Amino acid sequence: MKEIRFENVWKSYGKTEVVKGLNFTIKEGERLILLGPSGCGKSTTLRMIAGLEEITSGELYMNDRVVNDVPSGKRDVAMVFQNYALYPHMNVVDNITYGLRVQKVPRSETRNRLDAALKMLKLEGYENRLPKDLSGGQRQRVALARAVVKKSNYFLLDEPLSNLDAQLRVSARKELVKIHELYRQTIVYVTHDQIEAMTVGDRIALMNEGKLQMLDTPENVYHRPANIFTAKFIGSPPTNVVEVTYLDGKIMFGNQSFQLSPMWVKQVEQSKTSKVAFGIRPEHLEINKTANKNTLKGTVKYVENQGNSYGVYVDLQGDEVIALSESKYWSQGETVYLKPFMNHIHLFNCETTNSIGYPAELDQEETTLERVLIHE
Amino acid sequence: MSALTTGVKRFNRENWKAYFLLFPSLLIFAFFMFWPFIYTIYLSFFDWNMISPTKEFVGLQNYIDILTDPKSYNIFGNTFIYIAILLVLNCVVPYVFAFVIDMVLKRFKGFYKGALFMPAFISLVVGSILFTWILNPVSGPVAIILGWFGLEMPIWSKMDGWVIFVLSLITSWKVFGYNFIVLYASINGISRELIEAARLDQVPLWRIFFQIVLPMSSATGIYVFIITIVQGLQYVFTPIKVITQGGPNYASSNAIYHAYHEAFVLYRTGHSAALSILTMVIFLVLLFIEIKFVERGIYYEN
Amino acid sequence: MKINRFVSIPWHLIFIATIFILIFPIIFAVGSSFKSLQDAYNNVLNIIPIQPTLENYQIFFNSLPAIQITVNTFIIAAVVTIFKVITSFLAAYAFVYFQFRGKTVLYFLLISTIFIPFTVTMIPNYLIISKIGLTDSIWGVILPQLADALGIFLMRQSMKTIPMSLIEVAQLDNLSHVQIMRDIVLPLIKPAVTSTGIWFFISSWNEYVWPVLILKTTDNFTLPLALQMYISSEGGTNFTVAMAVSVITMIIPLALYLAFQRYIVGTFTSSGIK
Repeated sequence: MKEIRFENVWKSYGKTEVVKGLNFTIKEGERLILLGPSGCGKSTTLRMIAGLEEITSGELYMNDRVVNDVPSGKRDVAMVFQNYALYPHMNVVDNITYGLRVQKVPRSETRNRLDAALKMLKLEGYENRLPKDLSGGQRQRVALARAVVKKSNYFLLDEPLSNLDAQLRVSARKELVKIHELYRQTIVYVTHDQIEAMTVGDRIALMNEGKLQMLDTPENVYHRPANIFTAKFIGSPPTNVVEVTYLDGKIMFGNQSFQLSPMWVKQVEQSKTSKVAFGIRPEHLEINKTANKNTLKGTVKYVENQGNSYGVYVDLQGDEVIALSESKYWSQGETVYLKPFMNHIHLFNCETTNSIGYPAELDQEETTLERVLIHE
Repeated sequence: MSALTTGVKRFNRENWKAYFLLFPSLLIFAFFMFWPFIYTIYLSFFDWNMISPTKEFVGLQNYIDILTDPKSYNIFGNTFIYIAILLVLNCVVPYVFAFVIDMVLKRFKGFYKGALFMPAFISLVVGSILFTWILNPVSGPVAIILGWFGLEMPIWSKMDGWVIFVLSLITSWKVFGYNFIVLYASINGISRELIEAARLDQVPLWRIFFQIVLPMSSATGIYVFIITIVQGLQYVFTPIKVITQGGPNYASSNAIYHAYHEAFVLYRTGHSAALSILTMVIFLVLLFIEIKFVERGIYYEN
Repeated sequence: MKINRFVSIPWHLIFIATIFILIFPIIFAVGSSFKSLQDAYNNVLNIIPIQPTLENYQIFFNSLPAIQITVNTFIIAAVVTIFKVITSFLAAYAFVYFQFRGKTVLYFLLISTIFIPFTVTMIPNYLIISKIGLTDSIWGVILPQLADALGIFLMRQSMKTIPMSLIEVAQLDNLSHVQIMRDIVLPLIKPAVTSTGIWFFISSWNEYVWPVLILKTTDNFTLPLALQMYISSEGGTNFTVAMAVSVITMIIPLALYLAFQRYIVGTFTSSGIK
């Protein structure tokens, strides 16, 4: 099995611990995204797979074999670097085929792979150019071609698109998925960009401070965040998370209360938590000028133009929450009423920051399964 | 930073390969640098003439001899005069030149750089001979031109003070270019935005030099400061040897030349070794100052 | 950025004057070397000889084994250069791309030798060379010159400018160190290697202190030593011959400098001192 398995893997530089006990499996042939803020250990994790970083403790399995002591060159790994790492003194063809020549791949085979890669990545006509004479997008494609021709079973990408402009990024993303559908390598892809993570990934591994926060499909990472960090990291503007108290089927925002639906009441009762954090995405928070049943009263603090909608910052008795609205007619100091969509709330245990889970009834709801576009 | 060294951690298990690569250098250094260094310390405690089969242990007597000999003070005094002149000509002047060429002027930069660096490639023996003639007090071109104005050229090779000045000048001719280029590199590396911002604020040039350029190139500045002293003194050896042999009456000798003189003219290896060690201690103090300043990184260059 | 002319013109004058002072001796030497002694004394300020003559060069070639001396100088400089370039490259590679016990201490130890005055090692080196019987021989001149850390320093500086990811790509392709050195590191730092090499060559070509101690017979001399023979204590009567030998001594370093000026100035200005 061309899978990658982490068993309690730690990495530290001297006293600084960068990766703290990773335990997870990357499945054969999937596109796994390592996502997280800078400094979360995602690049280090990737580099450990590549064999460019030594593992401090724990075991890393590749193809059911412990590879802690296997040098990079023997791991059957191809990698694309953020800065592309093209050899400045070699032209496009030499850059792509240099590794193959060193590996003594037969000449005709090299030729075939090269031609296929040049064609697929639209690099025909640039064969003799040096990297300095290529555009950013072309360099990125050369780097990709160089990795592709290796026909490795593991394909590692370290922020491969972050040096491209937004438009190129969209087409490069598609190209990448196309390549993967052709070769079906096991892809591990590091990024800090959630759009990239959502569009490219079969599954997303979200990391923070050296620990795995959540590993699941993009849908679940977005709609069923396993903890407060995940809820806040994914989506823009971020999920509102407010510490509240649970009392008799209601949650208390200061002296205001909000009645939970029976399925949520059951969920909270089962989890036996009283200090609860209430989470809701801005797009799931309806904002009105008039009071209604089961709404929360607040004051507008600030309105932000987000292009296709307006982010309204509302003071909810000391807690600030954001609601998205299509209308821009909100004025500072105005009293407004917020209504969370019951099917889209998230409840977390304040102590552990973990989700208390989601009611089984929600799984029947179609709405959660639709792929939701998030705003950049 | 960390990626740079940790990225190749797998080579950890290939330690021996690193030593293998270093082996030729280490072998040469062991034979012709480290062992001689230790042996010189050893010799400084002995009285020996390089030929006699026996060496006589004299303890610290060589050091005492040097420190009590009035001639030594003469020589150390000369050494410091050399250092002072060399510092002005090879540290201060190139600093200002590098600043002006890099940041003030717009034209002929390439030409100035190329021309100022050129003499660094010429033998100091050649330089010594050329300047001996050009500065010949009777028939040299400089003397003739001065004569037009009724001025007389001092017979510098025979006069205390003058002789040191002229020998320093000749050495500077050779050393100047290297120091200039190194300083230029450092000043050239300072962010242009910073300088332009200062310009927009109408900061006068001399302030830009003292308050931005000088602090931001201080690491290189200190390196050049040290190299001027350490290598400058060694370079001066050549004109001294070629032109004056330390004369008249030790007036142009410095610590380096005198150590040579003690060893290969007077055959007093003990004195020579002790003098070399003392000189090196002075250098080490300077080096220590450098490390302290540079490593503390008041202004770290990138 | 507008620079006031009142600022820039005086500076241009200062630089032109400085360059004149630096370059004049070279021109003076070339001019004088083609003058007869008579001409040289009578027309000091006429740089261009009135009746050019090769007499001075002939005297040098007739009185000393000039070709042998030039060849000696060249061989010493070439051997020193090749050896130092190779050993410095290997050592710098080890310091940049390996982690090993004692790395920092070793590097510091080697680099600090730049600050050791030559008089400290002079006597023992002389004794070593005598003991192995290399006095008055080319090898006696070469060996101690090889202990020079400048090359390690300069090459390490320029290797550090190569992005680490290039080396990592190579590692992923299972390249050996020999392949990495030959196909990646060396081509990328070629300008630095070339100019370091030229600097070594010229330093060795111009080396005076050590050959003066080791070489005794004129057949083994190098150019700076031959030149020294024409300086009698007061300048003497061989002045124009000395100028001719000076020109021969200068010509190769200057030619190398002019040919590789961009490289050399580039290396010294880009690797810098950090």
